[in-house]
Amino acid sequence: MQEFLEIAKTDFLATFEGAWMLPLLLLSCALILWKEPDRTRKVLLGALPLAAMIVYWFPPTGMLLMKLLGENVYWRVLWLILIAVTVPYALCLLLRKCSGLRRQAAFLACLALIVLCGTPLLASEEFLDSANEYKIPQYVIDVCELLPENIHAMVSNRLMPYIRQYDTSITLEFARNDYRYLNPGEADDEVGQMYLEAQKSEIDLSVLAPTAKAEGCTFLVFSSTRTYIGEWEDYGYEKYASTEDFDIFVDMDYEEGQDTRKWED
Amino acid sequence: MRFEILLTALLFFGGTCLTGYAVRRLLKLKKEGIVCSIVVGALCWWALMELILVPMTMKLASFSSFVVVYSAVVALFTLAGLFCWQDILDDLKTFAENWKQYLTLGHLAALLLIVFELWFLHHHMYLEWDETGTPLEFDKRYVLSLWPIYYAWLSKLTGVAATVMAHTIMPWLMIPLAYMVYILIGKRLYEDDVQLKGMFLALAVLVHLYMSGEHTTGLSFLTITPWVGKGILAAIILPALFYWLLRAMRDGGARNWIMLGVTGLGGCLTSSMGIMLTPLFVGIAVFLLTLQKRQLRYLAYGILSCLPCILLGLYYIRLTH
Repeated sequence: MQEFLEIAKTDFLATFEGAWMLPLLLLSCALILWKEPDRTRKVLLGALPLAAMIVYWFPPTGMLLMKLLGENVYWRVLWLILIAVTVPYALCLLLRKCSGLRRQAAFLACLALIVLCGTPLLASEEFLDSANEYKIPQYVIDVCELLPENIHAMVSNRLMPYIRQYDTSITLEFARNDYRYLNPGEADDEVGQMYLEAQKSEIDLSVLAPTAKAEGCTFLVFSSTRTYIGEWEDYGYEKYASTEDFDIFVDMDYEEGQDTRKWED
Repeated sequence: MRFEILLTALLFFGGTCLTGYAVRRLLKLKKEGIVCSIVVGALCWWALMELILVPMTMKLASFSSFVVVYSAVVALFTLAGLFCWQDILDDLKTFAENWKQYLTLGHLAALLLIVFELWFLHHHMYLEWDETGTPLEFDKRYVLSLWPIYYAWLSKLTGVAATVMAHTIMPWLMIPLAYMVYILIGKRLYEDDVQLKGMFLALAVLVHLYMSGEHTTGLSFLTITPWVGKGILAAIILPALFYWLLRAMRDGGARNWIMLGVTGLGGCLTSSMGIMLTPLFVGIAVFLLTLQKRQLRYLAYGILSCLPCILLGLYYIRLTH
């Protein structure tokens, strides 16, 4: 029960904190329940969001839903509250009482109210200028254009989420947020050690390269800021190409056009 | 890229519009307008896809065979829409006669906001949450909600890379579609007040753009990742369910409950969350309406319309627990 309430509270705050959308929503529900003459609309627009909120907070229903949906995504129950229907409808209830210029002015005030109560989504720092039609970082495209098809590669963390969005014929040794990265203590096997070594600013090739070769990583892509202990050629790799941000190394046994994928799509 | 966007938009909106006319004819949804046809068509496409894709996936059929089967079914429905040319002409005629009444401050504000949103998204990329890399253990529940196959299908038909389809073209389809649902809701709520229809729409668009909880609010998903099924569920499916409920309460016809079921089934395609949230949303709403109307039939209709979702939901629980 305590755990349920903790999760429900955290998710609820994550959805509504930093803005005044919750008070606006509650006021809208109250206004609809109070002023709306049509009883069906009163239920669907005023009572339904409140009922969804009760289902969310009421421990028996909440705990059941949390079990069914998974506690990591319990916040999605809040999607049942159709804020973009309830709030505009309540504001239009007020606008309905005005006419002519007064209504237009009140409408502009309602727009301003939403702007003041909310947070500007498009100002999110996650939005960056689009660099290409794939809408993935340009440094990924630069690397992908140099890599051949049908190969297995170990790449920098920065590239991991995007390589296969550009070319699915490239298989990757590690995925984004690899568990070894998230839980370094669990990286006690050779592959785990290789992963951890690849995260260092100075990479010891005697730790990384033999395992990379054994695991069939034909291509290795690391940030160009990395330095290395040892010579790549001593471990069967050589420099293949470079971009502004990355250096690409290739297994010296690799032959052009060779299929070294670790799995097939 | 403009050509690819136009081509896909033509395919999507043209196909769904014609399908919508065919389905509207079947359900006797008369004089509802072009927007209603597009929304009905899109919901039917997704419901059909769920019906076809789940068994094909269970049978381990290939993607290329799915493309052939699904395209054939969609083409049939689209062709059927061509036979409704009289309805199309009527709607076009009505629009041509009445378009001037939509020149209101509200409609103008809504249009400006939507165009700005699309322009902004076209020139920006949202860099978060992309997950690809090594194959993970496949969660069986995803078999029931394979939304990415939808834009993979579109990308196969148009020859555009799936990533480009998702990140660059899908916003031009899903964002207008989402706001079309709000147009329908506004039309239903303010039958006799054109000004309020526009104002309602503009306020709804603005709530999408100013909602709090960037990473948890379903509404924000429509803007930050309009190609992700969860966003479609929150911003299109759930409001569409609300729309059909609103209609069902007003004119009571079986057609609205059928469309409620179709929408729910489409919701199952978008996200495994849709399998649970769709019946939950309808369930809470019909429970309240049953209490208000004191007529058990609403509860029965609601359950019946959610039956496909409930069956999938039971299967989902079996897969996950």
